[in-house]
Order: sequence, then C-alpha cells, then structure tokens
Amino acid sequence: MTKAVVKSKQEEEWQPKIIAFLCNWCSYAGADLAGVSRIQYPSNIRVVRVPCSGRINPMFIIKSLTDGWDGVVVSGCHPGDCHYITGNLVARRRFAMLKELLNFFGIEPDRVQFMWASAAEGELFAVMIRKLTELVIKLGPNKKFEKKW
Amino acid sequence: MVINMGNIQAENEEIQKNMREVARNLLNDKKVDMIIGYAQGTVPLSSSPIFIRNVEEVDNLIWDNLCYVNLARYVVPPLTEFVDNEKVNLKVGIVSRGCVARSLIHLAKEKQVNTENIKIIGIPCNGVVNRRRIEKELGEKEVLELSVSNDKVIVKGKDFEKELPYQDYLNELCKTCKVKSPPMSSSLSDVIVGDSLEVTSVEDDFADLVNFESQAPDEKWKVIKELLSDCTRCYACRQACPMCYCNLCFVDQNKPIWFGKTSDISDIIVFHLVRAMHMAGRCVGCGSCSSVCPMGIDLKIINRKLEKIVKERFDFTAGLDLEVMPPMMTQKMDDSEDFMLGEH
Amino acid sequence: MVSNKMKERILEKDQIKQFHEDLARYYNFYAPTKVKGNFVFKKITNPDDIDLNYLNSKTPPKEILFPRMETLFTYKMDGKEIEIEPRTDLEEKNIIFGIRPCDAYSFNLLENFFNFGEFKDDIFLKKKENTIIMGLGCNSPRSTCFCTSLDYNGHPHRKDDVDIFLTDLGEKYLVNPISDKGKAIIDKLAWLSEANEKEVQKAVELSDEAESQISTELDLENTADILDPNFNHPLWGEVSENCIGCGTCTFLCPTCTCFDVVDEVDQYNDKGKRVRLWDTCQFCQYSLETSGHNPRNSKIERCRNRVLHKFSYYPKNYNMIGCVGCGRCIQLCPVNNDLREIIKKINLIKNKSKKEEVTVA
Repeated sequence: MTKAVVKSKQEEEWQPKIIAFLCNWCSYAGADLAGVSRIQYPSNIRVVRVPCSGRINPMFIIKSLTDGWDGVVVSGCHPGDCHYITGNLVARRRFAMLKELLNFFGIEPDRVQFMWASAAEGELFAVMIRKLTELVIKLGPNKKFEKKW
Repeated sequence: MVINMGNIQAENEEIQKNMREVARNLLNDKKVDMIIGYAQGTVPLSSSPIFIRNVEEVDNLIWDNLCYVNLARYVVPPLTEFVDNEKVNLKVGIVSRGCVARSLIHLAKEKQVNTENIKIIGIPCNGVVNRRRIEKELGEKEVLELSVSNDKVIVKGKDFEKELPYQDYLNELCKTCKVKSPPMSSSLSDVIVGDSLEVTSVEDDFADLVNFESQAPDEKWKVIKELLSDCTRCYACRQACPMCYCNLCFVDQNKPIWFGKTSDISDIIVFHLVRAMHMAGRCVGCGSCSSVCPMGIDLKIINRKLEKIVKERFDFTAGLDLEVMPPMMTQKMDDSEDFMLGEH
Repeated sequence: MVSNKMKERILEKDQIKQFHEDLARYYNFYAPTKVKGNFVFKKITNPDDIDLNYLNSKTPPKEILFPRMETLFTYKMDGKEIEIEPRTDLEEKNIIFGIRPCDAYSFNLLENFFNFGEFKDDIFLKKKENTIIMGLGCNSPRSTCFCTSLDYNGHPHRKDDVDIFLTDLGEKYLVNPISDKGKAIIDKLAWLSEANEKEVQKAVELSDEAESQISTELDLENTADILDPNFNHPLWGEVSENCIGCGTCTFLCPTCTCFDVVDEVDQYNDKGKRVRLWDTCQFCQYSLETSGHNPRNSKIERCRNRVLHKFSYYPKNYNMIGCVGCGRCIQLCPVNNDLREIIKKINLIKNKSKKEEVTVA
C-alpha cells in the first residue's frame, strides 16, 4: 500500500490498526481458508506468521502497544492439537498472566485478545476477527503510550 | 541507628540473641564458611549487610526493624561467586526473615542456588519500618535516631522528637505478610536452622486491592502514572531484587531494542509493566524494591497483584515448597480460558 | 576580585513572590520544590511552589543543565533526505535559585569535564554561560556533610561559586551580590531594601555556627598519593562486598557525568531524535566491549573505579578532588556503603595521618 493511499484513508475516518500473530499450522491456515472461501473479514488486521503461539514473547504484545498499534490478537491451535505438543499450553498460561497485568495497569481489556482457531475453521476465524475489530473501534485509537517527540 | 525499649525491643533482643547463637554454632561446627547478616548502619535509618567469616565477628550481627535488604541478593549471580582459593564453593549461612527464605527457596527451584551450599538462619520477623515514608513526612528535618518502644516508633532529630504508631509505619508489604518465618518442609529440614514455620498454603483475601481494581481502566492508568512519575530509571529496584538475575536485562538489550530508555512517562510505565511480567509467580513480596528506591516509589500494589494472580489462578505462593512447580514453569491441559475471546 | 563592593540587600520572605515575578519574565527560574515528599529542582511557574526550607535536594542540581534525559537533536526523513533540527533553546537565560554551596561548586567540576580537550560540549557550556546561580547558605548541615574536608575550601556558607549569595536570617534573607552578573540583577531589582550592620553581622554568626556543626572530618591530604600504588589492595574486596551495584551513588552525585547516547526512532512517522541519558559505571554493561571482554567484570573493580575516579584520577587531570562533600551517596546508599569508612580505611594503609579523624558513630 503506498503512502498516498494510506494518507487519504486516514483523512476520511480513523480505522484501527490491529496486529495479528497467527500460528503457522492452525490459525494462519484458517485465515488462508477464509480467504480462499471468499469469506469477508475486516482488513484492519496485519498478519504476522509465527511457528507456534508459544513463540510469542509477551514483550511482542507490549511492544506492539507502545509502537501505537490499536489492537493485538494472538491466535493458536486448540489445546491438544499443537504441532509442537505443548506450545499453546505454555502460551495460554503466559497470556493469562499478561492479560491480568495489562488490565491492572489500566490498558483496556478489549485491546489485546487471544483465541484458538484451527485450520478448518475459516468461518470462525472471520467471525472472531469481525468481533474484535468492532470492540477495538469502540475503544478508539491507542494514545496511552504516545511519547513526546 | 535503632535503640529499642519495651515490648518490641524485647522481641528484637530475643531474636538477635537466638540468631547470634545459631550463627556461632554454625561457624564453630564448621557447617558454614561465611555468614551474611545485617550490621549497625553508620547513617540513621539504615543497616548494612555484612559478611562474617570468624566466630569473633558474630556479635556484629544485629536485628532491628531497619534490616530491609533482601540478603538472598548476594547468593545469586552475577554478584560474587563464593569460592575459595581452591575453587570450591563456600557454604554460606544467610540470616533470613520469612520473605528472604522464600526467595532462597524459589531460587533453588529455579536452579540458581544449590541448597547444599546454603543454610537458612531463620528468624521470626516482626516487621521492617517504612523509612522512606518517615523521611518524606519529616522532609526538611534530619533524623538522627530511631527507636522502637512498645507499639511506637520514636524518631529524634536535632530539635524535635516524634512518636509514630509502629503498625502504621511498617512497610506496606509487611502489613499484609503471612509468612514471617522461613517455611519449613521435609525437603528443607537440613537447610533451615533457627526459627521456622509450618506452612502448607497461605490464605489471603487481597482486600487491599479491591478498591484499586474496581476502577475503570482510564482511572487505573492515571493512578499508575501518578505513582511511577518520579522514576529516574536508576534500576535500584532491579539490582536489589534477588529474582532479577538475568545476565542481560531486557532494558539493556539492543538486538532488538525493546523499549525506550528515557524517563518519558510511557517508557517508565513499560519498564515496570514488563518487569512485573517477569516477576509473575516469582515475587515474594519482600519490599526491597520499594525500600531502596531513592525517590521513594512504593511498588506494593504491583507486587500484591502479582501474588494475587498466581494465588487465584494457580493456587500458588512463591517460595513455600521445593516440591511444587512454579506456575510459569509448567502447564496443564485444563487451565482456565476465561480471559480468551470466544465462547468458553 | 571586585573593586567597588556593592552593599548587601534584604529580601523578605514574603517578597519572594515579587522576586520570582520580576525575574521569571526573562529567565527560566529554577528553585527547590517539594514533589511527592522529595525536594527537587524544577522550573517554577507558581512562586508558591518555591520551598527553601530544605536540607538539600534529593536529585542534584546538575539535572538542570545536564538533565537525565536530553534531546541532542531531532531529525525528519523524507525518502532518502534527512533533515536535522538542532536545539533552539540554548540561548534561553536561566536562574538557579537557592542552591547549596557544595552543589554550586559542583558546576565548576562539571564545567571542567565538558570543557576538556578537543571536543567541547557546546550544549552544556552554552547553557552554563546563560545561567545565573543564586546560592543559599546552610545554617544546619547534615551529619553526612563534609564540604570542609575537601580541598576547595568548602564551607556551608562559601560564596565563591555563585553570582548572588543568600543567608537565611529567619524572617528574611540577606542578599549578597558576588559577581558582576549578580550585581546587574540586584541593580534591576531596585525595590530590595538595604541591609543594616546588625543583619550583616547575624549572617556572619550563622556562618560560623554552621561551620562548627559539621561533624564529619576526613583527612584527604594524602589520599590521592595512597591510592595510586594500591590498585590491587585487598581493601577493595572488603569495601565492595555488600554493594548491590544499583548506581544510586552515581545518579545522585552532583559531579558524576557519564552518559549514554541512544537514538529513539518513530519508525511509522519517519522521524526520530538522538537522546543523551545518564549512565553509570556501576552497571556491569558499562564497560562491556563489543569483543565480549569486560575490563571491569566484577563489582570490586566497579566500586574501586568510583572512588579512584573522584579521589585519584580527577586530582591527576584537573588538580582538584572530584567530590564536593554533599553526602548524598552516604545518605542514600541502600546498603550503607559509607564513603567516609572507605576513606578512613584508605588512610590507614599508609598509617600516617596529619590530623586525627573525628567522625560520628
């Protein structure tokens, strides 16, 4: 997308920018399936493919928020289906902890979401993305971590 | 300097006498090569950690309500490795309040400390005075002497004397402390000498957090901003914490540079947020971080929240038992998914 | 020295508001104020915030001219073109009001550092040039103060390093113009009444009283000579044993100048800035080299470095001890690592001292 197009979009109305960390084996394939099946879901998400949801360092999520992303979503395989056996279980505990801490510090709970989506769940993936984009739009732009330049 | 008289003095004297006795025996029986404890400070309102190697020095060990440093800090890398000339690990005895012992036990679980090389000299802690609060409230007057009597703290200066209620002027984390002596368990019967406590689990209703947590996100953010706005990024809190033993802290990493190092408020909050994340399930609530902060920032609500999360989610309290796996080092199939998006 | 001595003036305590109003129009007015229980120097917009009822500030006044975080320049990128925007605020005039004599002296040490050698630090020097320093004498020094033990003729009422000197007489301040810059300011404030003999005399009495109250005396005459040949002395292991490497001593020292330079980049908006931040030799990574070698790998070396820097290297390079005797490091060290004890131990090495050390237990 060229700068010119982005700028004019911004001039019309604010659209949230949401970064999506998708695990390669399940969620990324699920998103692919949604695309192939021509199921529409909001183009606000920017996908980052990771081998497993357990690869996600909580600092990725916090860094996304400090860099100005309006929302973060992490999606992995269902428990028991992880390609690396226990990767998503490790991730689940980590994210439980992170979510509680983010809430505690006063970051709106709806900005950071976690979900499971398997490779066959294209429709479900689109539904979830639509849901969380709605939630982020309601919250407005992420201004908490803005720095004085 | 602390001069005690009355009820709490009697306690402190007793604690001191017993601690010195245990230390003397350990050195005489050659069970340890060195003892780490507290000595009288040369500046009012402080105490100085000392390292003694001979029985003659045992009488330098003191216990008063100003012993706030978590001594477990000294046995964790990258500080001094206790080896002698023949490169053999020395055995170290550490004067431990409940929280200090819990730090050591948790560090042993994380394989940073070898329980064969330490002896936990347990003492029944009766609290640590909140020196930063006293300094702040007195401001422009210099405190020359602090004493404890019955249930009061008495601060004296050149031309003033003030009495403060003891329970009120304890460190905030001391007020909610439930494990005042080292927690004994079968796997530690060789390691803990002196005073100890039988503890299987710790009950806590975390009533002190209810007010804060009931607020809206924007208000919580404002409170946190206000709390941390003084932070100078000196990292004294990180250096004093026994759990912060990473060879290269995330703030110093430059491949990638995670977060800014400036003292802009958003950078400050991120530092404390990520550090709290790293402390999850590991913080024992000793309060050293708040006691050493030169600006007097009190991190108690963050530390209490960390305890609350692991207690409510995983029924875990850090540093009680060598046999229990800490929550972030393990996982279960049926962990709760209440925080996730979707129907659960 | 000045030829025509200007007569001293009186500033009533309720006149401080007027004082601030008249000067804040042309100057950035910095004074001590209480922020959440800590005394710090801040730019004052409301004169009611000025609080001179303090022993000494927690953070040293060096942070006014050499702040903890300072933007050196900002830049914008437009494709491959980079546009650098230098600082525009260096011509602003500053007043530092109510600074203690030891901290005022520290600016001399800072200036030595930033002025040394081929590359001079324009930012600090420019700001210092545009700064007027108004000192306030200490009527009751702390038990940890030792300005009188140092080689610069330190004194709780030392007037040499300020442009104007104030003495707190109780209800009012005696205002003493010292330098030409100071006199020019006093000239502009014609409403300041003249002081009488009794008031001037009281200031002298307070000054003598303050000197007698300094309880810490250190023998620093031979310290630099003892330190040089004793680089590997076992005393360094002893005194660094309980150090936790927190860096508080260096961050709150009025003469420590080490800094780190980092680039902060706003990558989504093609702009950024180069920032200078305080750094400390007490951190392990401070001296870590790209090869992986670290010449100060243990805290013994780092603790030793701090003492040597102030009491050996500084005298060698600038002929003055790099310490002002404010006592902050002693007061605020979390493990009570006492510089006075270290100096005593150093002096014991040669076992000769010219005068008996008298210290508070």
